[in-house]
Amino acid sequence: MEEFLNKNIKYIIAQYPEVGKILERYNIGCTTCSVGSCLLKDIIEIHNLSPEVEAELLYEIERVVFPGKEVKKRPLRQRAVRPQGEIKYSPPIKKLVDEHVLIKRFIALIEPLCALVDSSKEPDFGLILDCVDFIRNYADKYHHLKEEDVLFKRIGEDLDIIKVMLEDHTTGRNHVKQIIEGARAKDKAWVIEHLKGYKELLTQHIKKEDEILYPWIDRGLSTSDVGKLYVEFSEKDASLPDDFQKRYQDFVKQVEDTLNKRR
Amino acid sequence: MHGHGMEGCPGSRMQDFRDNKETKGDESGKRASELRQWPIQLHLVSPMAPYYQKADVLLSADCVAYTVGDFHRDYLKGKSIAIACPKLDEGQEVYAEKIQSLIDDAKINTLTVMTMQVPCCAGLVATAQAGASQAKRKIPLKSIVVSLQGDVLSEEWVS
Ligand SMILES: [Fe+2]
Ligand SMILES: [Fe+2]
Repeated sequence: MEEFLNKNIKYIIAQYPEVGKILERYNIGCTTCSVGSCLLKDIIEIHNLSPEVEAELLYEIERVVFPGKEVKKRPLRQRAVRPQGEIKYSPPIKKLVDEHVLIKRFIALIEPLCALVDSSKEPDFGLILDCVDFIRNYADKYHHLKEEDVLFKRIGEDLDIIKVMLEDHTTGRNHVKQIIEGARAKDKAWVIEHLKGYKELLTQHIKKEDEILYPWIDRGLSTSDVGKLYVEFSEKDASLPDDFQKRYQDFVKQVEDTLNKRR
Repeated sequence: MHGHGMEGCPGSRMQDFRDNKETKGDESGKRASELRQWPIQLHLVSPMAPYYQKADVLLSADCVAYTVGDFHRDYLKGKSIAIACPKLDEGQEVYAEKIQSLIDDAKINTLTVMTMQVPCCAGLVATAQAGASQAKRKIPLKSIVVSLQGDVLSEEWVS
C-alpha cells in the first residue's frame, strides 16, 4: 500500500476506476483533473481530512486495490487538522481569493456573451477583444503573475500540484490566443468554442485554488512567511497604475450592464 | 436572570484550577529562554531598537506568558516582543502611536497580538488595530486568544 500511495492519481484511476468513485464520494474531485500527476499520498494530505475520515478512506481504497487480502484499518494519524467549515485565509492569500471574485464575475458573463455573439448577424468582435484585454491584463498579468512569480516559486514549482496549476494557466493562455484569432477572422464558432473552453477551465481552476490549494498553502506558512508574502504582493501591485483595479472593476460592471440590457 | 452579571468583573473573578489540573507534557530537560531583547514593556521599548527592525513582533498581554506553558518555545521563538496590560496600564494613548511607529519606522513584518479570553483584554487587540490603521504601511495582524488554563482558544488573522 505504501508503494501505491506514491503513485500518481491518473495511473491509479486508470488501473482501478473504483478508486475514482471512492474519492468522489469523499468530495475529492481528482477524477476530473486534466493532468493527474499528483501522488495519492499528497492528495490525501492536501485535502485536510480528519484522522478518522482519512483512515476510513484509506481502508476503502486498500480493499479495492488488494481484493481478497485481509485489510485492517490503520491507526489514526495524529496531526493538526484545521476545523472544516468557512475557510479563513491569511491576508496575502485572501488578496488572491478576492481577485478571484472579480474574475468569477467575468466568467459568469461568458455564457450570455456567447449567446449574444451567436445570435448576432454582425457580432461585436470589439467587445470580445475588450474581454481578452481583461483576461490578459487582470486575470493573467495582475493575478496569475502574482501566483507564478511569487507564490508558486515560494511553494516549489516542481511540486505536482503546482505543475497542475501552471499547466492550467498555459491552457488558459492558449484559449485566449484562439479567441483572438477567431475574432480577427470574424468566426463566431471559433470564438465561442474557446470562450467556453476558458470558462470551463478557469471555473475549475479557481475552485481548486480557493478550496484546496490555498488552504493547504496557508496551513504550511509561518507567520513570518505570511508577512514576507504580503510585502512581495504589495510590491507587485505597486508597480501598476493606481486606477488599475478600478478600471477592470468598471469594465466588468459595464459588460454586466450591456448584457443585462439585451436580455 | 442568572447570577453572572452580579459577580463583578469576569476578568478578575477568582477561579481555582488546582484540582482539575494534572501536569501534562514532558518535564525533562532544560529549556533556554527565547527572549532576545530588553526592555520589553511597551512604555519602555523604543521602536528604533535594532531588534524590531523588519521583525515579526509579538504584542502580548502581561498575563499570557504566565498562562501558556510553552510560551517561549511556541510563541516567543523567532519574534521580538512588547508587553502591556490593557486594563491597568496608564497612559495608553502612547501605545497606538508606538505600534504605528513599529509598522512605519521599524517596518515590522507582522504583528501578533496575544491576549487572555477575559473581556478587558480585547482592548489590546483594539489598540493594535488602531495603531495599524494609523500607519501608512499595511502589515498582516494576527490575534491569538488564550484561555485562563493556557489553551489557545482562537488564532486568526484580523487584517
Ligand atoms: Fe491560478
Ligand atoms: Fe488564481
